[in-house]
Amino acid sequence: MSSQTLPETFRLRAGNFNLLVLRLLDPRPETVLPALGDQFRRAPGFLRFAPIVIGLADLMAAPEEVDFRGLIEGLHALEIVPIGTTGGSPQMRQAATAAGLPPLRAVGGRDSETELPAGSAAPAPADAAPQAAPPPPAAPATPQFQGSGRSALLVSEPVRSGQRIYAEGADLIVTATVNPGAEVIADGHVHVYGALRGRAIAGARNDAEARIFALNFDPELIAIAGFYAVREGLGEAPIGRPTQVRLDGEEMRFGPLG
Amino acid sequence: MAQVIVVTSGKGGVGKTTTSAAIATGLALAGKKTVVIDFDVGLRNLDLIMGVERRVVFDIVNVIQGEARLNQALIRDKRVDGLAILPASQTRDKDALTKEGVAEIIEELGKDFDYILCDSPAGIEKGALLALYFADQAIVVTNPEVSSVRDSDRILGVLQSKSKRAEEKRDKVKEHLLVTRYDPNRVERGEMLKLEDVREILAIPLLGVIPENESVLRASNTGMPVILDTESVAGQAYKDAVGRFLGEELPHRFLEPDKKPGLLRRLFGGRAA
Repeated sequence: MSSQTLPETFRLRAGNFNLLVLRLLDPRPETVLPALGDQFRRAPGFLRFAPIVIGLADLMAAPEEVDFRGLIEGLHALEIVPIGTTGGSPQMRQAATAAGLPPLRAVGGRDSETELPAGSAAPAPADAAPQAAPPPPAAPATPQFQGSGRSALLVSEPVRSGQRIYAEGADLIVTATVNPGAEVIADGHVHVYGALRGRAIAGARNDAEARIFALNFDPELIAIAGFYAVREGLGEAPIGRPTQVRLDGEEMRFGPLG
Repeated sequence: MAQVIVVTSGKGGVGKTTTSAAIATGLALAGKKTVVIDFDVGLRNLDLIMGVERRVVFDIVNVIQGEARLNQALIRDKRVDGLAILPASQTRDKDALTKEGVAEIIEELGKDFDYILCDSPAGIEKGALLALYFADQAIVVTNPEVSSVRDSDRILGVLQSKSKRAEEKRDKVKEHLLVTRYDPNRVERGEMLKLEDVREILAIPLLGVIPENESVLRASNTGMPVILDTESVAGQAYKDAVGRFLGEELPHRFLEPDKKPGLLRRLFGGRAA
């Protein structure tokens, strides 16, 4: 690797955003959308093209009753851009994911929303620009990880270029390779029992204790709790060897496995 | 039930159409009724490679838009029995293809043919997505070169998520790797990826390796699928690939450099072709 310094073209940082949450109370787009349209007409410019999160926690319906695709289309027609979901059962989240709405997790693991009076002006999208989020509330009452230990997401197929796998609130174990152009992300540790040739992000919710393990360490980028290194910055790392990566303060440390 | 096979790669210029023509011809030679569909609307080439460009009257877009019946658009090959070509349109764009229209065509072809080959356009946009949507099997064409391997990897991910089989959560599309334009001499000089490297990244079963060979260009220019050139190494390699596709166990050939580089070549850095 040549250590030529090129002009920096980007920086990767964790960011927290304030987003509006649209809590669904009715699964039918045909009843939700007109009501929403009405409200938006009374407040012109309200949230034009603003990103919005769909809240599923209050929805009393089976996942197959919710027409997510219809909802997304209808929201786009109202110039609202749904970007993901929060809350709801795993089945519901899965149905939403299938329709292109991935689950988002509120900072601190609990929904912490502020009530918006109906019809009031919401923060303009400009206000929702990246900003330091308030410190996460004290440890949530319900533990995020049920059972004795952290759960893990197991992936046994190769993770291919363009694919992105996120183990939300869990470790990620990949028993195949992670190819160039692929991205594996976990809130906990990332284990790759094959070659890690793509990007690996551990401790995605700022867990500085999270580590990355790979049997053949050959990544494009690694990140732990928002600290990252691109391949060019990995001069010292044991490329091609069984390796674990941890964070020591703001430094990445590389050690052998086993 | 007819098997639908997509020939795809992500990257352009790696040999999809050459492969579609060769494999379709090989399947027909093996007694399987085979039709090959050109999905590259706007940049049609398959008719040229198959040598039927002077017989194109109607095309797939005409059929989808109800301007012609499927039978009017199908061109029966004159050299090989049981082989037919459904050409693409050169004058429309890929938006003229619809999922419903393609579904109807595939269903109707399925009544008469054993294999339906879909020659995909490059890229991962609409034309390519439609070409792979109905696939039961996929032949992923890859050159021993990093960008081609990465694009093939990407298309394998798309096959797993965007095909009809994936959407319906049925058994996944059966994947085959076909490495084309493989030049063992250049591999030995480190100018091309080794076969093992390609296989390691893509991690799917190897259907065949087609050596880089001037017979391919000659075949294209004369409109004769290269598999009909039984003297050429590329033609033989395609014939092996078809045999393996149909379940034969055949060793992979043409993987070794043809000869040790001579003294002159070593002295002058191996530039001579």
